Amino acid sequence: MSNQKKRNFQIEAFKHRVVVDPKYAEKTWSILEHAIHEIYNHNASGLSFEELYRNAYNMVLHKFGEKLYSGLVATMTAHLKEISKSIEAAQGDLFLEELNRKWNDHNKALQMIRDILMYMDRTYIPNTHKTPVHELGLNLWRDNVIHSSKIQSRLLSMLLELVHRERTGEVIDRGLMRNIIKMLMDLGSSVYQEDFEKPFLEVSAEFYMGESQKFIECCDCGDYLKKAELRLNEEIERVTHYLDVKSEVKITNVVEKEMIANHMMRLVHMENSGLVNMLLDDKYEDLGRMYNLFRRVPNGLSTIRDVMTSHLREIGKQLVTDAEKLKDPVEFVQRLLDEKDKYDSIISQAFSNDKTFQNALNSSFEYFINLNNRSPEFISLFVDDKLRKGLKGVSEEDVEIILDKVMMLFRYLQEKDVFEKYYKQHLAKRLLSGKTVSDDAERSLIVKLKTECGYQFTSKLEGMFTDMKTSQDTMQGFYASHPELTDGPTLVVQVLTTGSWPTQPSITCNLPAETSALCEKFRSYYLGTHTGRRLSWQTNMGTADIKATFGKGQKHELNVSTYQMCVLMLFNNADRLSYKEVEQATGIPASDLKRCLQSMACVKGKNVLRKEPMSKDIGEDDAFFVNDKFTSKFYKVKIGTVVAQKESEPEKQETRQRVEEDRKPQIEAAIKRIESLIERDFLERDNNDRKLYRYLA
Amino acid sequence: MKRKDTVKLISADEMEFVIDKDAVMVSQTIRNLLTSPGGFAETKLGEVTFPEISAVILERICQYFYWALQYSRGKETEFHIEPELTLELMMAANYLHT
Repeated sequence: MSNQKKRNFQIEAFKHRVVVDPKYAEKTWSILEHAIHEIYNHNASGLSFEELYRNAYNMVLHKFGEKLYSGLVATMTAHLKEISKSIEAAQGDLFLEELNRKWNDHNKALQMIRDILMYMDRTYIPNTHKTPVHELGLNLWRDNVIHSSKIQSRLLSMLLELVHRERTGEVIDRGLMRNIIKMLMDLGSSVYQEDFEKPFLEVSAEFYMGESQKFIECCDCGDYLKKAELRLNEEIERVTHYLDVKSEVKITNVVEKEMIANHMMRLVHMENSGLVNMLLDDKYEDLGRMYNLFRRVPNGLSTIRDVMTSHLREIGKQLVTDAEKLKDPVEFVQRLLDEKDKYDSIISQAFSNDKTFQNALNSSFEYFINLNNRSPEFISLFVDDKLRKGLKGVSEEDVEIILDKVMMLFRYLQEKDVFEKYYKQHLAKRLLSGKTVSDDAERSLIVKLKTECGYQFTSKLEGMFTDMKTSQDTMQGFYASHPELTDGPTLVVQVLTTGSWPTQPSITCNLPAETSALCEKFRSYYLGTHTGRRLSWQTNMGTADIKATFGKGQKHELNVSTYQMCVLMLFNNADRLSYKEVEQATGIPASDLKRCLQSMACVKGKNVLRKEPMSKDIGEDDAFFVNDKFTSKFYKVKIGTVVAQKESEPEKQETRQRVEEDRKPQIEAAIKRIESLIERDFLERDNNDRKLYRYLA
Repeated sequence: MKRKDTVKLISADEMEFVIDKDAVMVSQTIRNLLTSPGGFAETKLGEVTFPEISAVILERICQYFYWALQYSRGKETEFHIEPELTLELMMAANYLHT
């Protein structure tokens, strides 16, 4: 170092350090080499950092960087070869521990060496594009230790051995594993992959192939899936504890492929324990597990979905074609709802509300509900039953729930217009006989139908409700303007607007005198306020309450149909009447008359009439008498309420025919619209498939 | 008495400078020295000898350390270098990586 400067400044010639000693480089290097030795021998405390740093600094400064660098490489290599031997010498399980220890030592030494050679790292190395010290140290470790022939394969097999042991239930030293694996990762991702990950995945595949084979022979589906899940979780946990996080997806793929994908079909179709059995037994946990496992493999979920769909269609088909079940429409619909509830539950609890499964469920229901062309009628009957009595005492929310379920079935119907026809008929009967449990429930359902199908669908139904209300007001007006009638028989009229109500053949019968007089008064009153309208009495739909006194003086109030009233009133003027006489006097059509007489003469507890002969059926030659011996516990006796029944065959044909007729104008209108769209170039026909239309942009 | 968070820097002509650790860390070289694993001789004693740096230069350098700390805290002042010291100072700075 130059001497102290004088106060006034002198410019001196630029001085290079002159290398006086030709062996300067040698000497300096050997100081450093010695230091490296000491460092590897854990003897650094005697060394002066400054001195070593300065020596390395000077070497680089004086253009001996090359010598320094190559010296470093040689020395380190030599040390690592020694270290390698000591690792090789370790016995059995101590091998990994020794490797780990030496690795830690090497890292520490490397850092110290880099610190003292920092100047070279900063200047010489970037200039010559050589590998920096730290990286160099890792590479030399990799080449001389990890890839040494005696260590490389032994290391791998030990690692795989430990993994295998852990898989068979042994506890291993996870910390040690983690360090070794981290070492491989530090040496570069290709080292990790080639020296460990690839073989690991191969060995794992073999292992799981064996496992799955073993299990599938002896386990049922549920147990197998439990085991598969366990193994999968185990592997994921293994990764978090001592493998590179990027390995997770690779090892899970292996397990998924070997344990699930390869055995998917066999599992799903396993006898007595497969998917169908799980569905039948509502095994939510097993099903959920299957869903979670299968979603990980290609086509897993679609396999489950397809099996579920075909099973459902099968069950559904059986349900709707089983003659036994079809005898009771309400029961039939209830079974459908139960089945839907069951699967809704399965999908929400086990299949995490998967939309595709919902869709499969919906399409299956749509398929089999429409296999039976009486479904629309039956659903309407179900609703009828509920609105007549089924919903009695049920809370408002529960009513909504049931109606919503019905709507859901309604949506599946293809022939919604058939439903509408029946619904109108059933509603009419309910309204006219006053037999509805809850007006709110009725209206609620109409609103739902309107939301679903539009105003057109429900306008007539709403018209029916309006008529009922209007009729009430009309009746009030009638009695208000005819105060003299309040002592006589009470008339209650419902005026039905023809278009809104189901068409009925209107055959009037002959009403008894008292009644017909009253009816005429009403007719004039009504037409007085509504000129231009026509009224016709629907005697097949009315009811009457009659007070009757029987032979022994027993009094009863009978609630009967209009027809029945006509028949009974005849007996005020005659003791005995033949069938033909009754028919003539009342003018009631034959089939109705027979039913009417049957309900009054042949039904236990309601036999206000006596018939000769006492046969079950009504014959044209029968004779009728008032049954003076009639008794009943109750004062008020209801006879033969007209309940909506399943249609008979001919009635069914008729309804269907009417539906077909109604469809014609709709279809024509639709055709016109399509033609118009084609003309205006919104649609075109597909060239190949005459049934296909395409939207044009 | 030496406080714990100081380091002693000794020049070639045996002048001793006791400097705070934060200041001394401005030099990457000294920082590496103090944080290197394995413990070189210097860390035990807490002192570093620079046989190739004179006291004048070393003193200037220590002043530089403190100036650098202040500068990094936002105070903008100039660090004045006497022209006759420039070369040696630069070389020392190169050496100390600062």
